[in-house]
Amino acid sequence: MLRAAVEAGADSVYCGLRDETNARNFPGLNFDRAELIEATRWAHGRGAKVLVAINTFARAGQTDLWKRSVDTAVAAAADAIIAADLGVLAYAHEAHPRARLHLSVQAAANSSDAIRFYAEAYGVKRVVLPRVLSAPEIAALIKETPVEIEAFVFGGLCVMAEGRCALSSYATGRSPNLSGVCSPPEAVTFDRSPEALTTRLGGLAIDRLGPGDSAGYPTLCKGRFDAFGQTDYLFEEPVSLNAMGLLAALRTAGVRAVKVEGRQRGKAYVARVAAAFRAAIDALDRGDDTTRFERQLTDLAEGGRETAGAYRKTWR
Amino acid sequence: MRRRRTRPYIAAREPGADHDVLASAMIAWRGPVEALLTLSLRGLARRCPAAFARLGDHQASTYLLAPADMPIAFTLAPHPQHGAIRVVRRGAAGVHIARVSAPLVDLLALFDGSLDADAAFFCRSIHVEGDVGAVMALHNALESADLRLVDLLPLPAGHDAANAILAHLMRAARRRPASGWV
Repeated sequence: MLRAAVEAGADSVYCGLRDETNARNFPGLNFDRAELIEATRWAHGRGAKVLVAINTFARAGQTDLWKRSVDTAVAAAADAIIAADLGVLAYAHEAHPRARLHLSVQAAANSSDAIRFYAEAYGVKRVVLPRVLSAPEIAALIKETPVEIEAFVFGGLCVMAEGRCALSSYATGRSPNLSGVCSPPEAVTFDRSPEALTTRLGGLAIDRLGPGDSAGYPTLCKGRFDAFGQTDYLFEEPVSLNAMGLLAALRTAGVRAVKVEGRQRGKAYVARVAAAFRAAIDALDRGDDTTRFERQLTDLAEGGRETAGAYRKTWR
Repeated sequence: MRRRRTRPYIAAREPGADHDVLASAMIAWRGPVEALLTLSLRGLARRCPAAFARLGDHQASTYLLAPADMPIAFTLAPHPQHGAIRVVRRGAAGVHIARVSAPLVDLLALFDGSLDADAAFFCRSIHVEGDVGAVMALHNALESADLRLVDLLPLPAGHDAANAILAHLMRAARRRPASGWV
């Protein structure tokens, strides 16, 4: 998938090691040490950067795993480490002062004070913003911020408390923050009957889909529940972020890099999304209109639906 | 920490499936197909050991792959040395780690990575039952191997022309409306 992203025009690619230190710790995914070294060498040969996500929160008494991952990323000549945990950031900053550090969205740093703290304390060079700010809010934030800002532009959306969600942990005992998995697959079951497909997480029914219904990820936050006499999505609807229409505004605001969610997705997704955003950004560089790229990716979206999310805050 | 063990998926018998004439014919001729596909699987295991390593404990599992538009299904045992693919009746009883059902062209497109599995799940063209983690491991292993359709055939490396023809046929088939047993 790293190769698919680079070949489709991505400037940088996020990846993780095959353990709990990254927030996409799914079976069969991610690199071992040798694969990371080889992938980084391959990407560098094509002018692309490799950013290693070590963005889960280290567990008390077991921090060696996170430290080893930092050491491995540095040894593999990764271009940056993306982290959220204060201990991981401190270790990386102290043990590898020349390593470039990015702040993960999992840290949920959404104020200039928070961002300045990470920059001053750990030398963080770039911050990935949580998906809670509008485009004008981002513009205002960047004016007060000493580091590069990166913003999500496509892919899955989380409940608006990134790094602090305990829903998966409540239902399964495992969470993206500590274990690197939201809705761990061993806790997910799909029960089919002629009438419906019932999705369960940790034994709890979280949705029941009729024959014509689109599906979302089997997470509690995308579940449908009975409440106050009606059945509906209580937390958020299954829908993907697509901020391609806001690329110009984000650039004007001073956003340095845009990020696509989906390290757990396949080559087909990675190649198409990377190619579409490469084309749109190149069009923007030429002063061309990007509208024609905005509806190319709907079939890849969760539930087949897209939103500009908090960037537009249409609910205000 | 609560960890929930997933029970193996046990395929139920589908009433009437045994009497399907087409299924009977396919089962009667399954020998060469099984030999061909098993040979390809073991060749892949030799060429892409890292992809099989991604399966972890699921190297010893058996998957049931059920094309929604065919009266038969395939069992896949992805062991690096003793891997095998067998043709079974669609409704045949058996114990498998998981069952994956989708139109044949979609299953093939998942094999070569030209179809995004999550998108197929969102639009409900793919159905998964049993151990979802096992299916995810299989999918990620396939994705990492950069496979082509021609890898389904036990041919030496290369064969770009053969793959181009197969890919063209698959794209054409995917444009046709689906039908099936589901």
